[in-house]
Amino acid sequence: MRSRTIPLIAAAAAASLLLASCGGGNEDDGATTGTLDFYTNKAAWEPDFDELNAQSEGDVDISLNTTGYSDAAQYDAFIKQSFRTDKSPGLFTWQTGPSLAELVDEGLVAETTDIWTKAVDEGWIGDDLKDAYTFDGKQYCVPMNVAYWVMYYNKHVFEEQGIAEPTTWAELDAAATRLSGAGITPYYQTSTLFTFPWFQQLVAGTDPELYNGLATGEVKYTDPRIVAIMETWRDQQEAGWFSDAGATVDPAVGLKQGDFAMINFGSFFNGSLDGAGMVSGEDYDMFVIPAVNPDLDKTPVAVESGPLCVAENSSQKTLGLEYSEWWMSPDAQTAWSAARGDVAFNPKATVADPMLEELGTTVAGDEYERYDRYYEATPTPILTVALEQFGAFIANPGDPLPFLETIQAEADDYWADQG
Amino acid sequence: MSRIIRTTVLAVLGALWLLPVYLLLVNAAKSPESFTTKESWIPTDFSLLDNIAEAVRLSGLAESAASTLLYAVVAPAIAVVVGAAAGFAIVALRLRHGFAWFVVIFGGTVFPLQMILLPLFDAYSRVGLFDSRPGMIVVYTAISIPFSAFVMRNFFTGIAHNVFEAAVLDGASTWRIFARVYLPMASSALVAVFILQATFIWNDFLLGLVLSQSDTVRPIVTSLAGMQSTYGGAQMSTVLAGGLLVSLPTVVLFLFTQKFFARGLALGQY
Amino acid sequence: MTSDQTPNPRRAKDQYRWSAAGFIAPGVLLVAVLLYLPLLWTTFLSLTEYNGLGDPEWVGFANYVEMLDDPEFIGSVLNTLLWVAGTLLVPVGIGLGVALLTWNLKGGTWLRLPFLIPYALSGIGVGVIWSFILSGDGALDQALAAFGIADTPRWLVDAPLNTVVMILATAWQGVGVNALLFTIGLQSIPKEPLEAARVDGANGLRLFTSILWPMLRPLTAVVVGLSIVASLKTFDIVQGMTKGGPGRASETLALTMYKETFVNSEYGLGSAIAVFLTVVTLAASILYLRQQLSSKHGV
Repeated sequence: MRSRTIPLIAAAAAASLLLASCGGGNEDDGATTGTLDFYTNKAAWEPDFDELNAQSEGDVDISLNTTGYSDAAQYDAFIKQSFRTDKSPGLFTWQTGPSLAELVDEGLVAETTDIWTKAVDEGWIGDDLKDAYTFDGKQYCVPMNVAYWVMYYNKHVFEEQGIAEPTTWAELDAAATRLSGAGITPYYQTSTLFTFPWFQQLVAGTDPELYNGLATGEVKYTDPRIVAIMETWRDQQEAGWFSDAGATVDPAVGLKQGDFAMINFGSFFNGSLDGAGMVSGEDYDMFVIPAVNPDLDKTPVAVESGPLCVAENSSQKTLGLEYSEWWMSPDAQTAWSAARGDVAFNPKATVADPMLEELGTTVAGDEYERYDRYYEATPTPILTVALEQFGAFIANPGDPLPFLETIQAEADDYWADQG
Repeated sequence: MSRIIRTTVLAVLGALWLLPVYLLLVNAAKSPESFTTKESWIPTDFSLLDNIAEAVRLSGLAESAASTLLYAVVAPAIAVVVGAAAGFAIVALRLRHGFAWFVVIFGGTVFPLQMILLPLFDAYSRVGLFDSRPGMIVVYTAISIPFSAFVMRNFFTGIAHNVFEAAVLDGASTWRIFARVYLPMASSALVAVFILQATFIWNDFLLGLVLSQSDTVRPIVTSLAGMQSTYGGAQMSTVLAGGLLVSLPTVVLFLFTQKFFARGLALGQY
Repeated sequence: MTSDQTPNPRRAKDQYRWSAAGFIAPGVLLVAVLLYLPLLWTTFLSLTEYNGLGDPEWVGFANYVEMLDDPEFIGSVLNTLLWVAGTLLVPVGIGLGVALLTWNLKGGTWLRLPFLIPYALSGIGVGVIWSFILSGDGALDQALAAFGIADTPRWLVDAPLNTVVMILATAWQGVGVNALLFTIGLQSIPKEPLEAARVDGANGLRLFTSILWPMLRPLTAVVVGLSIVASLKTFDIVQGMTKGGPGRASETLALTMYKETFVNSEYGLGSAIAVFLTVVTLAASILYLRQQLSSKHGV
């Protein structure tokens, strides 16, 4: 027996060492030029970040050494863990909403108030995006990108059916009815992970207050208004308006081959569609989805914005902040928009794709109101359950109440904990 | 059963088994621009090489190839010997509490890998093994040992103990008996364990993801996986072509090691 | 006492005590340091409330209570058991079949190769190709349509069908390995008893039950033992194809653990599930292996 206990004791001792030595981090080395270690959960964009190095080396003499993660959840865990070590990142991507608030609460990300003040003064960024980055009057991180969630459609299908871009909800419904009548599935949907867009669209388009209430816990998922919205969704399901829940076809390919005529997606989708061989403006186009409720003053548009953050205890803190400042500039954003093919948050940047250029201008107008995407706006534990329940609902549409009750049960737990 | 029936059954079943491989080949060869899922079974065009080139460009996996090869050769080679040594200690040398020790080693495989990633990352970054080739080799070796020990231990139980006793009577040391008698007898098992573990390591994604960072240390599949995501990146046929390219070395490895399993290495002679 | 007792005199055992320790030490050390140390940390976390930031807070067994309290947890356990049963039935069964059919068969090595190739293929291509096959109107549906079968089930949506088809997809990759291990087992069978049995007129099934099966026992233990362990940990394919959905219909324990730990940042709860899974796996392995490894084969 003795021989067996020794390694166990040694193991326990080593484990307690691990425990005791928590709370890592490093002195900031103060460098303002050089190579910056950058971590991102958008691994697919790594070539785009590499492409940008040419611009940043010329402008501020900083180049990124990018490490991409393809699994978002593991990425989050890795970043959180890294704050405890001497690998805490000089620059990393994150999510807005409760996830960012959590890091700010723990004092883990560097303040960027000065950078924001300068950027707003220079007219590099609108004030409204600032809210998502503001905690207790101070700013943290800068936006890596913005994406607007809009409706992409297959232009050929619309032309064949004589459908024009809908400008009201009634027109959108009419378009769906027409498509469906012609044997064409109007909308894309999936039963895994990205199960929320249509729910988000229906709720925010009906009443933005109601949508915000869900995010803050003031409105219950079992609220009769939410139930009514889910019933609308179910009726549309039963009318055959949505694509096969069991299809795992790449959505870009699905739109190309006419599996469905429309897809609600973020404006970064242009890149995927181009890659699938569709031509922007020729084979596909997009429109901002009209509000369900025609009486709304402004049309709500879902915005997704991914922050670019610097760890407070990183040895590359100064370097990371230098890069962040440069990132906000029109030159950087013009280069980024060209590399990535997406809208730019900086109105002074030039956007290469005319369709995206137009979208950026449109959405910035007075008739539109931007709101945070459901994915970022909802606290994570509730989001996890909600995504599952929407998935189950999509797979087997029926009485929405049991699904909503399950989500609400989790929400009750969550808000009680926050007490 | 007659040979003809056996051969026929195997051929039919084997053909069925190769159908997904056929799909993989056909669809990896379709150009992303003309790719559809409507006619999955029908080859349309041959853009395999373009797709492979695009996958290499997007993932930067070329830089990973050399280090991945290093991990996939060195780690299982060490593990197979270490595992055989453990099996030898338990079976031939009749280690006290052998079964308990065996369970200790085997226990290393029972929990999900995801659970040890973060503590490993923490420990690695503290002792300077993070993002280093020795660090990757050590972890791959450790992860391969339980399987290796398991197979080797059980294989050795098939060897009569009087083989060991005879060698002792000849005056051989335990090390010599292990290296000159037991290991050669177990060559087919050693090769099997080696190729299975080498394939596992070659295809590892998780450990590489968490314990490495630079392009020259990161294993190949971790690099490759990066191009797939909701946020754009590679098209389906590009991903398939990349997967195919990365699979080539392991497929070749299986082809070339088949001769080890061809001859009836039967231990009956002992 | 342990099963390793044999009738041999004690002295003979102790003679090699130190060299035996030397032979086993490298394996034990590597496994202990790299695999058990992190596991200890996980076990500690399972008794705390921890979100990945700040410091873990001791909560005793609260996470275990919460785990067992979750009505969906039982679904996860049932799915996992389905995986264990399915994996023992399909890939192990077919693997044994392939090994027996190719055994002593001219060209057998090459006939075995189609089963090995899937294992050699990178997981990344394999995941994509299977979602391709099983997708609604995917390759399988298209093939069935060619045979006039149009009304097919939703392979990845309808539970428990989705778990069953994912087990089959896993079997596709796993059969070759099992066949290879069984082949090694067959090769290590001494010639004499086989010849003797053949002379006695044993053939086919009788040869199998009387000679081959008992002789294959050490390698069967390997294959079955590894299959139990692997199936209890099933994660990759489910995460890749259904993410445990729709809803939580195809979730396995490893997925539940992953979700709580990485998605919800409930490290304590996730760790509790991991510990539960580890204890179950270890118990199952020990029970099975003790019985398999000790009774007949002396050592």
